Amino acid sequence: MFRSNNLAARVFERQILTPRPGASVNLVRHFYENLVPSCTIYDIDCPDHSFRKFTDDGQYLVSFSRNHQDLIVYRPTWLSFSCEGEDCDSHSLPQKAKRFDSFFTQLYCVSLASSNEFICKDFFLYMESHQFGLFATSTAQSHDAPTTEGAIDGVPSIERITFYLVRLEDGVILDEKAFCNDFVNLAQSMGVFLYEDLLCIMSLRYQTIHILQIRDSGNLVDVRNIGIFCREDDELFINSHAHCMGILDKSKLDDLSAHEVANDVQHHQVTQGTSLLSGIKQRLLSFIFRKTWNEEADPTLSCLEKDNDEIMLLFQRVQHLKKKFYFHFQDYVDLIMWKVQFLDRHHLLIKFGSVDGGVARSTDQQPAFFAVYNMETTEIVAFYQNSSEELYSLFEQFYDYFHANSRNSLHASFISSHSNNTHALDQLWCIKNKTNNISQFVKKMMTSLPCTCQSQSPSPYFDLSLFRYDEKLISATVRHRHSTEHPIKFISRRQPNILKFKIKPGCGLCFSMFGKPAFACASTPALDLGSAPMTTISYCFLMFRSAFWLIDTTILFFILNLWRYPGCYHQCFFSLPMELPVPSLLEPQKCDARYPNNLIRKACPFSWTIL
Amino acid sequence: MGSLLGDWPSYNPHNFSQLRPADPSAQPSKLTPVTYHPTHSRTLPPPNQVISTETRNILLRQFYQKPEEKLRPKRAASDNLTPAHGSKQLRGAFADGSN
Repeated sequence: MFRSNNLAARVFERQILTPRPGASVNLVRHFYENLVPSCTIYDIDCPDHSFRKFTDDGQYLVSFSRNHQDLIVYRPTWLSFSCEGEDCDSHSLPQKAKRFDSFFTQLYCVSLASSNEFICKDFFLYMESHQFGLFATSTAQSHDAPTTEGAIDGVPSIERITFYLVRLEDGVILDEKAFCNDFVNLAQSMGVFLYEDLLCIMSLRYQTIHILQIRDSGNLVDVRNIGIFCREDDELFINSHAHCMGILDKSKLDDLSAHEVANDVQHHQVTQGTSLLSGIKQRLLSFIFRKTWNEEADPTLSCLEKDNDEIMLLFQRVQHLKKKFYFHFQDYVDLIMWKVQFLDRHHLLIKFGSVDGGVARSTDQQPAFFAVYNMETTEIVAFYQNSSEELYSLFEQFYDYFHANSRNSLHASFISSHSNNTHALDQLWCIKNKTNNISQFVKKMMTSLPCTCQSQSPSPYFDLSLFRYDEKLISATVRHRHSTEHPIKFISRRQPNILKFKIKPGCGLCFSMFGKPAFACASTPALDLGSAPMTTISYCFLMFRSAFWLIDTTILFFILNLWRYPGCYHQCFFSLPMELPVPSLLEPQKCDARYPNNLIRKACPFSWTIL
Repeated sequence: MGSLLGDWPSYNPHNFSQLRPADPSAQPSKLTPVTYHPTHSRTLPPPNQVISTETRNILLRQFYQKPEEKLRPKRAASDNLTPAHGSKQLRGAFADGSN
């Protein structure tokens, strides 16, 4: 915790004080209280692309062409200029500030989709360690696709979905993976989850989870498919024993298919090509059976045991089994997998539900179930209904672990959630206490599980311990929102009445970057940014030109040293949030050796948001 | 006592017994430090103990432990009270299976 609110004082304090163990990143994030957006530039002509997202490390801006067939990637190269004189504040920005190219350099334009395919605008996953981006193209969706073997009725079909792995540095398409006549929920990357180098793709139509690995070379390698078969050699085993079981007799299947419509029960099993349930379903049913069998059906059971009446005990158990398991057996068999995420490299969290709710967004009315599946032992570890309070208590305490952030991603672990932030927890409890129906509340909370990968922005401006803002208007969750009339206020959390900055989204995109640092005063009075015209993109950007009006000579000396290297002062400042380079006041000539440009760039996760 | 390390506990009673205080005027017999040492070996770690971080994160541990907790009272009723470390043995079995 810094003792002062002044930026320069904080910089010096940071130089001499060691933060508490494990809290160095939290401490450095306090600098964002001083560095806030302070300026907007209007009426900038920008290319007519649909801008998607900044990557979390701030290296690339991903956009798609209007016809949704090309990928255009920009490198953010921020405007830099210097200003001499007494009163830099009153100087207006140079003319080049009104140009899009002053801020972004186009790296390449790559065509991903061919004639009848379109890039899915909503889908983008970024693998930070290798700077790979995952994109998806698809053909049009058809709702009345013919029922093929293994496919589930009621799920639409897309003729071709292709995933492309692109190296964002140079736009080279490293690998692709295609799914034909299948359906993967591409909206907001919901059907795909990236964890470290593992990718899991939920194929709804064929009820299979495809696990792929992204190798360092950029190849997408199949690891396993979970669905009909759980282990890699299950298929071999069943095929080699098919003649014994007499199940895969083709002639028998032809007879049965005629009766498909008449008898719904057989339908699911027949379409899989065998009369066996799929591997994952078998695992699920056996787990539910064992769990129900081992449950205490009745509190009076213990006194029965004392009487040593084993037959009575068995009878009770069978009754319990009938009521809880066999009565619902067909419902369990009819469950389909909706969504899946990694919990760690070996465990998956799978959401099951009925066929009707598979593609629909709002799933409040449908009962849903969650299962934890161990890929190595192919066993279901846990199974809960979406109204389970036990699962809710785990959700409340360990939400960060549901997000499954790998250790490689530094800033992703600092996204505010109700498990790591008291303010977020207060908000959650507030909602919980207001609700009359706890079961409805629990179901509503459970709709956010399984988590969608990379759906939350790691920007420190969304950190609830630093700023307070209206969550209905803006939040860390990356999704398109309607723009509002009023500016969105960000109020400092630690100084409750001080407004730090306001953002007026207007229409289109507003990029927020670092603002003017506060040197002489405690905080920067926020500028009302006004409303942006409908057809332009507004920018707020850093104005680090306030060096020469400083009164304090030591600070002036500090700034003068940075000014020796005008080319790198900008990068120095950008590295402020994470790795603040504090030049030694005694040996100014060593400034640049300590902060080589590439080091600064890597150390700096930018905090961009597309609002 | 005079010495810095004299009265700290040690597993070997002869440690620190040779210490002499820096002050030469002090009498050796009075200022020989007493070394505290344990009189039992209950707290010694087992010779083949290896301490390592649990590979599973806390959420997964909760998923694995909840059904075990439910099973435990049931078994206690039927098996005449499992010993105190019975649950630890169960967990060990799980860890071996999945590691």
